[in-house]
Amino acid sequence: MTIRFTLNGRPVALDTDPGRRAVDLLREDLGALSVKEGCGTGECGACSVLLDGELKLSCLLLAAQLEGREVVTCEGLGDQAAPHPLQAAFAEHGAVQCGFCTPGMVLAAESLLRENQDPDREEVRRGLSGNLCRCTGYVKIVDAVQAAARERRGGRRKK
Amino acid sequence: MTRVLLPATLPELWEALAASPGAPLLAGGTDLLVRLRARRQRPEALVGLERLAELRTIRRQGRSLRIGALATHAMIAGHPLVLRHAPVLARAVSEVGGPAIRNMGTLGGNLCTASPAGDSLPALAVLEARVELLSAGGTRLLPLSGFLLGPGRTALAPGEIVGAVRVPLAADFQVQHFEKVGRRAALAIAVVSLAVLARLEKGVVAEARLAVGSAAPTVLRCPEAEELLRGGRLTLSALERAAKAVRVAVRPIDDARASAGYRRQVAGNLLLRLADL
Amino acid sequence: MSGRFPRVDALSKACGAERFAADHYPEGCLWAGAFRPGAAHARVLAVHTAEALALPGVLQVLTAADVPGTNLQGIVHKDQPVLCGDVVRHAGDPVALVLAESREALERALGLLRADLEPLPAVFDPREAMRPGAPRVHAGREGGNVLMAAEIRKGDAARALAACPVVVRGTFETPRQAPAFLETECGVARRLPDGTLDLIVSTQSPFRDRFEVAQALGLDPLSVRVRAPYLGGGFGGKDGATVQCLLALAALHADGRPVRMAWSREESFTAGYKRHPSILRCELGADRDGTLRALRCRMVLDTGAYAHLGGEVLELGMEHMAGPYRVPHVLVRGFCVYTNNPVSGAMRGFGVAQATFCAERMMDRLAAKLGLDPLELRLKNVLGPGEENACGVRLTGSTEARACLTALRGHPFWTTRREWAAQAPARTRRGVAVALAHNAMGYGGGLPDMAAAKVELTEEGRFRVYCAVSDMGQGNVGGHAVLAAQALNQPPGELDMVLPDTERCHPSGSSSAGRTTYTFGNAVLKACAAMTDKLRTRAAQFLLCDDPASLVLESGRVVWPGAGKSVPLALMARFLPRDDRVCVAEFVMPVAREVSGSSRGFVLGFPHLLFAYSAHLARVELDELTGRVRVADYFAATDGGGVVLPQGFEQQIQGGAAQGLGLALMEDCASRDGRLLTPDLSTYLVPTALDLPEIGSLAVPSHESSGPGGLKGVGEVAMDAPLPAVASAVEQAAGIRLDAAPLTPERVLAALRRTRKKKP
Repeated sequence: MTIRFTLNGRPVALDTDPGRRAVDLLREDLGALSVKEGCGTGECGACSVLLDGELKLSCLLLAAQLEGREVVTCEGLGDQAAPHPLQAAFAEHGAVQCGFCTPGMVLAAESLLRENQDPDREEVRRGLSGNLCRCTGYVKIVDAVQAAARERRGGRRKK
Repeated sequence: MTRVLLPATLPELWEALAASPGAPLLAGGTDLLVRLRARRQRPEALVGLERLAELRTIRRQGRSLRIGALATHAMIAGHPLVLRHAPVLARAVSEVGGPAIRNMGTLGGNLCTASPAGDSLPALAVLEARVELLSAGGTRLLPLSGFLLGPGRTALAPGEIVGAVRVPLAADFQVQHFEKVGRRAALAIAVVSLAVLARLEKGVVAEARLAVGSAAPTVLRCPEAEELLRGGRLTLSALERAAKAVRVAVRPIDDARASAGYRRQVAGNLLLRLADL
Repeated sequence: MSGRFPRVDALSKACGAERFAADHYPEGCLWAGAFRPGAAHARVLAVHTAEALALPGVLQVLTAADVPGTNLQGIVHKDQPVLCGDVVRHAGDPVALVLAESREALERALGLLRADLEPLPAVFDPREAMRPGAPRVHAGREGGNVLMAAEIRKGDAARALAACPVVVRGTFETPRQAPAFLETECGVARRLPDGTLDLIVSTQSPFRDRFEVAQALGLDPLSVRVRAPYLGGGFGGKDGATVQCLLALAALHADGRPVRMAWSREESFTAGYKRHPSILRCELGADRDGTLRALRCRMVLDTGAYAHLGGEVLELGMEHMAGPYRVPHVLVRGFCVYTNNPVSGAMRGFGVAQATFCAERMMDRLAAKLGLDPLELRLKNVLGPGEENACGVRLTGSTEARACLTALRGHPFWTTRREWAAQAPARTRRGVAVALAHNAMGYGGGLPDMAAAKVELTEEGRFRVYCAVSDMGQGNVGGHAVLAAQALNQPPGELDMVLPDTERCHPSGSSSAGRTTYTFGNAVLKACAAMTDKLRTRAAQFLLCDDPASLVLESGRVVWPGAGKSVPLALMARFLPRDDRVCVAEFVMPVAREVSGSSRGFVLGFPHLLFAYSAHLARVELDELTGRVRVADYFAATDGGGVVLPQGFEQQIQGGAAQGLGLALMEDCASRDGRLLTPDLSTYLVPTALDLPEIGSLAVPSHESSGPGGLKGVGEVAMDAPLPAVASAVEQAAGIRLDAAPLTPERVLAALRRTRKKKP
């Protein structure tokens, strides 16, 4: 069956089993390797994507559910030549250690900042509460998200 | 190959269900797909509900809120009508999983999974919600207790879906309390949870409703405890008396997350939190 | 990499561009998966493969009969079959390996495999396993179920204890903790036309892996190539063969096609390596003024069905049982015991996390009994430089444990502890406590802790560093880049860093034991020094300078400051043949030479010489209604020698403390009759962002003269203090003593209720 959707702004059309997991489709067929599998059961957030702008878990989405939708992965936010402010902030503030949770974490942070431009630390933690990190203890991830939020607001503090 | 049917209208849905009678229903996928993986099951077909936009609305209907079965936990947690008329439900569903799970999981799904630990269920129980069941043959309405039959068991008949949940407006209950006890602060299954609605007149309880989650095969209202609170103030000693009644009423089990004894003790203890409100 | 990004790998990872072992899907690759029947102990009568083989897309189903070589893997003890033939010894033991064309075909095939099993008597408690007549995990093994029985002795502990005016006692238990890295065990393998087995694996031990694979499969180790990309976490669980032997076996049967294997999360729990559960019994004797006199204790570790690094974990744990204190008389007995439980192996903290729980809680017991402040008691007894530790090793390396403690003593969290506790909100109890950890660095005695670094001036005139130790997130590649950049006076972003590759890099041991930046970093510095010498001498030829020592390296060139002349490196490189552009240097970690204590029974490890120290403070809130423990604030003061990368230092401390807090609060791979009750991430709980506090970190002034840039390894020490700190804070908060980890709400509530019942 042909599934048609947009991936990081590019239209894609794939002939595939509609019951296949979105995470497999993205990684194996479309080279979106930033989407990681950490558990396959929705417990770690490493497979996070933005689906029509909403943060969702691609290990619990089927290929058929992508039809007609917009999928954004971490690669779609920015690249090393022109990183997204969150990506740059993560790298700058020591929020990246092994890096396996990072793409999902960046998307969760982006999703948070779209709703809340000036989150306090507790709000950041809540926004990231579905993304496990085993390396950092989260402190520098929170630092990075707040730094990116500040930059986005042009350095002004609302609270 | 798995066939994934995604009907966009109710007539299409009935057709799909008739054509594939054994096909599981897929809403948010956060319970179904995990279960299929655990049991290594690969159904021949799945019927996805997500394109049925009419099942996703939240609106006021007379003296109730009608919450579509496909409303996600995130939608419900932030919806102005819910926050105004049934904030206990918003509080409860905002504790489900984590942000992405709340974007995917639906109220209908939480009901149909019928886990003893389902987070929305104690809130729906104290709100005395009714479940609207739809099928090709029409609509029927069941009280929550008539819908939830046991762990993982509901009154859903073949060819039927949960269309909506009707929640009577409850803004006159000043106390809208929900607490979930998990083994960690997010991405946790409730080990025991408590929802409370209390209507106070000059500080005296005119009506109290208590529901405990994860301490019985299904969510449990505690009429004896409710009765003990009625007519008095929410003092620590009143709450302690009610807590004792709660502990007698619950029927918890031992599992990997907690023992029955812990659940019993804490089910009562959670009531004491109201003394600090 | 610009100066904006302190770590070389951070931006590529943040953009999702970095390729992990899990990200390899070579063209035409086959999918390999292991069939694990799930019995804790059974004789394998038959494996039925016909149904699976008949499936379209299934190419092979291999069993033990298909394994050439010894069919035994292992790091020190070769006791673990690649594929079990006649007996399975734990629920994760594999009996068959499937090769399939697709993920779906693999899953279907695994679902159709069946094994006929005859259950064997099994043993799940290590104490039971030690008794005569207990079921044998390895039939016919000399020593029965005891993998290792060992002793550390200094002075005469029995006599000294008998004479002590004060003796405190305790028994402690720690759980099986899973590393739970986000990237599970995985890799790809291919047999090349020339016979080379080419593996890309998420591994902490690429060089040793060659030997493990070769010995298990009867191959020439030099015909095995292993590359280790950045690991998505390791923490010890990827030290030693996980997928490697299975992948290699698959590749041998794949007709030249590449094969991919990635363990599911459930498989990682069942078959992967976890921290040894421990039972620790201790007696600590002191004078009335708190001066420690004697320690006698016993450590029992459950190593599960196979040894992995059990003996070495035992050794390190036993070495740390007395804490970083002056104790003249010590007797530590230890047992590492086989059971039919899942396999225990290396995990960050490596026996020390277990030992520190006991050692620090015993100090708290003693303080309580003597009415002394727990921090002052520690200050009274803490070791200083040049003193002899509990094993009798003279601490000739940097030893700033005292400074760690005094940093806490002056911290507002400590000075305001009583006020803070008094302000506890309704139904909440508050407590503040400290713990001091030490953690040895390196392999210890008997096994040379060696690294060989290669630095090359490329044809284009750039510097290339061949990193040979895996980077599992600790940032050692970035650390080596900084060290090399400083030594060669080049911008770090200009360096080319090669990730571990057994074909291009030189054997340098595993990424473990807090040793990588220290040992490999030292080798890098030596290689860079040799390179600098070489380039100055050669440049002197170009520049007609008769004093090479007066030349200096700068970005992209060698400069003669006195004459205002320089020569570009790119030009020099063209004139040098390849073997003249490469410098290789080795470094071996120093070992203890003055040891007054003695040991018996260890194969490797005893004793260690260099230690990191970390003093932690936890402010804890306990909810009376549910028993939930919340760590409100956390602070660590650490002696890691000189700090070369401040951000990297903090990362290790915060990350280690986070895992230690997980151990304290919620992590437990519980099992019953050998089957895990926590087979996935919904039941095995690691802390989320809402479960952990802000973690403050201070590096106390220190300098390890033997370390590159003066540093010591701090990869493990922060892991060890949170459990005792939190347990102590809980005791301060509510007067309850919990001697078994994790401190679950249920255990806390039960203890609270017991205390209440005791009140009149």
